[in-house]
Amino acid sequence: MNNFDEAALFILILVPLLGALLIMFMPKDRPKDIWYLAILVAGISLVLSLIIFARYDYGEGGFQFLRTFDWIDQPLNIDLSLGIDGISAPLILLNGIVLFGGVLISQTILHRNRDFFVLLLALGSGVFGVFAVRDLFFLFFFYELAVLPMYLLIGVWGSSTDFGTFLRTKEYGAMKLMLYLIAGSILVWIAILAVYVEASDAGVPDFSLTSLGTLAESGQFSATFQNWVFPLFMVGFGVLAGLWPFHTWSPDGHVAAPTAVSMLHAGVLMKLGAYGIIRVGLTLLPDGADAWMPVLISLGTVNVLYGAVSAMSQTDLKYVIGYSSVSHMGYVLMGIATLDRIGVGGAVLQMFSHGIMTALMFLLVGAIYDRAHIRDIHVLNGLSKRMRVTAFFFAIAGLASLGLPGLSGFIAEFMVFTGTFRTYLPLAILAVVGAALTAVYILRLLARTFLGESDEQWEHLTDGSLIEKGVGGAFVIILIFVGVWPEPMMRVINVSVDVLPGL
Amino acid sequence: MVSLFYFQLLSAGLFAIGLYGVLARRSAVLIVMSIELMLNAVNINLIAAASHLEGRGSFVRFDGQIIAIFIITIAAAEVGLALAIILRMYRNRSTVNVDEIDIMKW
Amino acid sequence: MEWAWLIPVFCFAAAPLIVVFGERLPGKGAILSILAIGGGFVVFWVVLTAFLGASPASEINGTADCFTSEFTESLTCVYEHSWFHAADLELVWGIIIDPLTLVMLGLVTFVALMVQVYSLGYMKGDPNFGWYFAVHSLFAAAMLTLVLADNFLLLYVAWELVGICSYLLIGFWHERPSAREAAKKAFIVTRIGDVGLLIGILLLWREVGSFSMSEAFEAASTGAMSEGVTTAAAILLLLGAMGKSAQVPFHVWLPDAMEGPTPVSALIHAATMVVAGVYLVARAFPIFSAYDADPLVVVVIVGLVTALMASTIALVATDLKRILAYSTISHLGLMMLSLGAFGYTAAIFHLLAHGFAKALLFLGAGSVLHSTEEQDIQRMGGLRKVMPLTALVFSIGAISLGGIPILSGFWSKDEILAAVNDHRNVAFIVFALLTALMSALYMARAMFIAFYGQLREGMEQVHDAPWLMAVPMALLAVLAIGFGFLSFNWPGDYDGIGSFVSFGERHGFSFTWWLGILSAVMAVGSFLFAWQVYLKGRISLDNAKATFAPILKVVENKYYFDEVYQWVIDRVVLVFSRIIAWFDRAVVNDIGVNTPANSVRRLGYTLRLHVTGHVYSYTLAMVLGFVGLGIFWWFRST
Repeated sequence: MNNFDEAALFILILVPLLGALLIMFMPKDRPKDIWYLAILVAGISLVLSLIIFARYDYGEGGFQFLRTFDWIDQPLNIDLSLGIDGISAPLILLNGIVLFGGVLISQTILHRNRDFFVLLLALGSGVFGVFAVRDLFFLFFFYELAVLPMYLLIGVWGSSTDFGTFLRTKEYGAMKLMLYLIAGSILVWIAILAVYVEASDAGVPDFSLTSLGTLAESGQFSATFQNWVFPLFMVGFGVLAGLWPFHTWSPDGHVAAPTAVSMLHAGVLMKLGAYGIIRVGLTLLPDGADAWMPVLISLGTVNVLYGAVSAMSQTDLKYVIGYSSVSHMGYVLMGIATLDRIGVGGAVLQMFSHGIMTALMFLLVGAIYDRAHIRDIHVLNGLSKRMRVTAFFFAIAGLASLGLPGLSGFIAEFMVFTGTFRTYLPLAILAVVGAALTAVYILRLLARTFLGESDEQWEHLTDGSLIEKGVGGAFVIILIFVGVWPEPMMRVINVSVDVLPGL
Repeated sequence: MVSLFYFQLLSAGLFAIGLYGVLARRSAVLIVMSIELMLNAVNINLIAAASHLEGRGSFVRFDGQIIAIFIITIAAAEVGLALAIILRMYRNRSTVNVDEIDIMKW
Repeated sequence: MEWAWLIPVFCFAAAPLIVVFGERLPGKGAILSILAIGGGFVVFWVVLTAFLGASPASEINGTADCFTSEFTESLTCVYEHSWFHAADLELVWGIIIDPLTLVMLGLVTFVALMVQVYSLGYMKGDPNFGWYFAVHSLFAAAMLTLVLADNFLLLYVAWELVGICSYLLIGFWHERPSAREAAKKAFIVTRIGDVGLLIGILLLWREVGSFSMSEAFEAASTGAMSEGVTTAAAILLLLGAMGKSAQVPFHVWLPDAMEGPTPVSALIHAATMVVAGVYLVARAFPIFSAYDADPLVVVVIVGLVTALMASTIALVATDLKRILAYSTISHLGLMMLSLGAFGYTAAIFHLLAHGFAKALLFLGAGSVLHSTEEQDIQRMGGLRKVMPLTALVFSIGAISLGGIPILSGFWSKDEILAAVNDHRNVAFIVFALLTALMSALYMARAMFIAFYGQLREGMEQVHDAPWLMAVPMALLAVLAIGFGFLSFNWPGDYDGIGSFVSFGERHGFSFTWWLGILSAVMAVGSFLFAWQVYLKGRISLDNAKATFAPILKVVENKYYFDEVYQWVIDRVVLVFSRIIAWFDRAVVNDIGVNTPANSVRRLGYTLRLHVTGHVYSYTLAMVLGFVGLGIFWWFRST
């Protein structure tokens, strides 16, 4: 199996890409077969990510599955070096799960579905890459690979909605999302180059996170340098994580995006930002992180409260969930900003848990939208009558989101609170209040949309298809499993959070 | 031996004529011809410089000549391409007057 | 005893099984639910026997899991199992078995069993029969976990789970908008309290470094935790308790919660879940009583205000279930009052006695509802003639709760009064007596109006409860009569409930004669008075009503609490939310995002005019550029 370990991550990144390539050559008049092939590819990715997660040795810790492919030698020193630790392992699993789920439920996409799956798989490959790579250059490369397909996926397959007072076209959503993410990645790129130049001055011209990490540990980056570079990472990656006030791309993107893309967007893409802050920001620039954390945790708290309060008065299902994502990503940012082991561990678990939970919600909203062709919570009502299982799953996802114990969201939020209590007491209290606000908008949504008598116009609705029920059910089981027994997840996360510098 | 200056004068003169042609002519064919003039002006300059510098300094051998031959080859290909484009243009719009072909904006 | 964890696990297992396989099981899975809680009840007896057999404490003292608690001075066993690690913090599944837990286990398993059997009859034919029992099972499991938990984290987990079960069951008939709203209200109002609870728990963790209750108690009593923090933590825990136990001002959800099926009201909103707050205060008593026991002053005031306010509303309410709901609030207030007056044993004893009696009353009310579909007592009357059994058990419950000797409610209420008399000043005892008086009055009023006198027209066809509903009521009635006898000293080792459930010094049964006689006279007097007013019509209240009309109006409108809350939600919370949403759209999006985007676009429109599309103008620009560069270099090199 040693050979497998060495090749595993490379294969994991390659499989979706090769799959995309293969799909490109499929005849476009056989959408069914294209879908089957995409399922096969995503399925292989899922199995691989499961194996990798299971084979990650939490007893040993550190980076595993290491493998380096030389690419450009002196003087640039860019190598494709791969390796994961306990922080990236759960996220790789998350991406495998959400990608597979997203491909499965994209059966309904018939318009140019070949192109759709090519882009979706490319996106998946990019995300795998970001989580698996140990080199700043390739981190950026895969980051862009994950972000760019979003533009086309939303722009071509999205939907435009008229909200009466304002209009959100899919082009607007796609463009806004793209501009925001590109702006963020420019900041990240500047910061990466700055780190590279600084490292060159210190005698180590290298993009490798491993050698840069050793450099950082030996204190080669001066405090002044760290203090001006860290905010670049923080804001650059933060844009992708929905950091207030750079969050508006996210709800608008959700409203425009097709179901599978929404799932990946909220489920996985937003986590790239938070992951970047941990992986690059905290590891390379611990002093800068230390100096900027009050800012990050304040913004994170604003995220939590602002997202929750905004979600309260939204009328579109996707807007509600979009703003709730902003709110929940706030917990992730807060957890990171505590620079406390429990807090950061909670943030990582929250990334996983929120990924599954939001993906589930968007899946179900997609199922409703496919049937009712509307997402307005004032118009929809009594859906639990016709769509029992959908409503049930939505309720579970909603309860996970409001932090009900027994579901994964609680454990994660609880750990974030615990970490914050140790470090920033007043903000922690605000965050707990934010969790109560979540209950308000989730229950309002459940009561308006799912409970009660249904209008005649919804008589024709049918429950989710077998695939939707199956994927939804699997997500629900994951939510419950992690909520009841988080240890398998936590022991992996713990080993790597423990060795993060600066905690 | 004729001084390098006269070659350069000839080259500059040819280049100026070519430039004038590119800027002042309206016919696409004539513009291509003017570009050929400019290319050849450069060729003359290169060869003259090469033959004067030969054997002196580090820049030895037949660099100028080689580059000139390169340019001739590329110019031939380029004329072929340019004429083909102009031909297509004529087919589509029945003119080769560049004043009337201004779709390359906005 | 270490198998006590099985008690909730049965029910935890039953819930998903019913959801998934319910349709294919006999009785849609209800049997499974009843078997689970029945199994829990059996295990409870096994554990209880083992626990009693393990006394005196010295025999088992010194082994790993059992010890004599320094606070309750009784045998306490703790069993823990690792749950998960959060960095350096180990979180555990842990159960504690001590007298407090045991009596709660007994109450919950018994009442839940009774109510579930009753529900077999009550919910018959409901389209969501299976779902009802699944949630019931989940509730029972969570409630049992709540009383078993030995650490605050697990307690909070169970605390939230019972909350969500309550939400689901109140909104069980969600086709009715009122049920939907009530469910939402119940969850959100209690959730506000839960914020306090969670903050309190985390605050304790911050100080103690562990979620273990015993370590927190240790820190509070030894002074390792400062007085300020201890008081703050106690108040925060109390906030959670007030939310769950419907104390003023968080009481507004409980009356509305009557929208749920009546057996649910009996189990969750009378006997078990709502007493979780009282249980929490009792469980965390070492924190409340540390230092000068200042938090207990807050507890006693909250309890008194709640008890008084709720009993006045119960006096004028006309909806049978709402009368019972306000009575529940009032009695929860009394329990808090008792805890605040150091009446630990009295509070727990009253909790149990009230639990049995109130569950019985609700089941009786449910029986009326089931056959008449009428909730307004003014449209009832003389039901005794058509449903004698229901009338009998309801009367037993009412008399017991009203405090007529020698039924159980009398003994428990008397202990509370004694505790208040011993530890608090005279104002408290006066108001407590007033509450007791009103409690007897409203129970008598409801009982006489609904069940006695002339039978109303159209009620002739009403039938009594079927046996599935009758048997649980009968069993509960037996307890409502006889449970109070547990407070006496009996021959043998049993020295009254005070020797079993106690905090600090153990004390046997004691009886304050003047208080006992006074309260007995008041109770009997109230029943006689109500009999005269509502049945015989010899005394008319019209004059009094006219005189106190303004006050009556305030009370009938429940002191306008709902209106105030509604105003705050509509005018403050929702408006604020709309402002934020507008801000997000108009400022962050339109100004912050669209303005730069539009200015870039405008700049592009302007600049494109310089692009003519003529080849020669591009060429000219290129040449000029070259010339310019040449000149630049020329000057630079010279």
